[in-house]
Amino acid sequence: MEVRKTFHQQLDELYIELLKMANTAFDVIEQTRDAFSTLDATKAGNIIEGDDVLDEFLVRIEETAIELLARQAPVAIDLRSIIVIMWSAQHLERLGDNCVNINKAICNLQGYTISPWIHENMDEMFQRSEQMLVTSIESLKERDTSKAEVVPKMDDTVDRLNRTFLTSYKGESEEELELIIRVVMIARFIERIADHAVDIAENVHYMVTGEFAWNPPEEPTT
Amino acid sequence: METATENKMVIKDLTMYYSGFKAIEDVSLDVPGQRITALIGPSGCGKSTLVRCLNRMNDLIEGVRVEGEVVLDDENIYRPSYDTIGLRRRVGMVFQRPNPFPKSIYENVAYGPKLIGIKKKPELDSIVEESLKKAALWNEVKANLQESGMRLSGGQQQRLCIARVIAVQPEVILFDEPCSAIDPVATQLIEDLMAELKANYTMVIVTHNMQQAARVSDFTAFMLVEEQGQPGKLIEYGDTSTIFTNPEDKRTERYITGRFG
Repeated sequence: MEVRKTFHQQLDELYIELLKMANTAFDVIEQTRDAFSTLDATKAGNIIEGDDVLDEFLVRIEETAIELLARQAPVAIDLRSIIVIMWSAQHLERLGDNCVNINKAICNLQGYTISPWIHENMDEMFQRSEQMLVTSIESLKERDTSKAEVVPKMDDTVDRLNRTFLTSYKGESEEELELIIRVVMIARFIERIADHAVDIAENVHYMVTGEFAWNPPEEPTT
Repeated sequence: METATENKMVIKDLTMYYSGFKAIEDVSLDVPGQRITALIGPSGCGKSTLVRCLNRMNDLIEGVRVEGEVVLDDENIYRPSYDTIGLRRRVGMVFQRPNPFPKSIYENVAYGPKLIGIKKKPELDSIVEESLKKAALWNEVKANLQESGMRLSGGQQQRLCIARVIAVQPEVILFDEPCSAIDPVATQLIEDLMAELKANYTMVIVTHNMQQAARVSDFTAFMLVEEQGQPGKLIEYGDTSTIFTNPEDKRTERYITGRFG
């Protein structure tokens, strides 16, 4: 017989709120990817203005989480869940800020010609970071550590793509330099988005196992 | 953050003496309707004394004197010739130790309604069933209503006492440390029950268990005796979320963080 129904219902509702925030964050990345593909400053401007939604999610989630911590003295899986919900909400809000920065860069790219190569690689970075976020969200929803473990491995490709933009600078003109700086910045912001997805996946590992993924227990030496 | 409803009761500048000893001084406090207000504080701070003023149970102690007012629905219950018997029906009480009558479960709940003149069995049966359902005890006892109430477990006895209060249709229910004599699982059941009862009743709970006040109440009042021999005073009153995340008074913060008790 469940005896803390009210508290557990509130915890479930908080979880659902986080998943809604995660879905909103995914939509923002997808809209940003679209804005970059056409260098559409209007779309970019709209995304920048819409960032408040993620900020408001964060405030609501943090306020509710703090209240639950103060009033319900949760322990074990309940405690870890609330902590992970707070951490993940912070990552999603930062992810949204990175999208804002990308969209500001898109606004500053008006009038430039972006080569097909840059478009292709950047689009691949967007898609991979989206996949990472989706996998993290699914692992969070299902409390599935094996799914969560896949996400850090997906990060290698994003890191590699990020590095290629910098090495592609040929030194031909000042205009090319200005362009490549902005392109490198955008790639860096997408790489940060991917890192946030990794952090969320690591949070899932902590929530389920109680262990911090970045401090795995030492292997015994033979 | 909880929003207040209209006040069901208002305590105004209440001071109470036991045979000349001032036990509580100048307490002013709102009791919002259909909400749970908790009184917390260290032992001896006057919280039980205060709650017993709300239905004039303290009158039964010799040498008690009260100054100030306790207003129930715009009427001061301490005005001369106020109907104290009617008051104790409208403002019921659940005590620290479960105290069912040495009677059957049925008779425990039917006792109050019978006293106020309800005689017909179908009506009494209905009241008993309704009250036991509201106290979340019906399913456990419906097959054994003629068994003695004393044979129930501690948690069940306490719910029987709640049913007994509910049977006379109170408006306010006072709980004086209702879970300190029962086990943790039964405590949780009663806390969940209190959350359900809010829909129909105003409640005040005295508890020395701060976590219980944090879990269950909408508003919390912190009382304290600052020096031995001094009367208990109200230090802080506010919505429970604020009291437990960011109290205004340092003394409240020191108490709830366990820096003194």
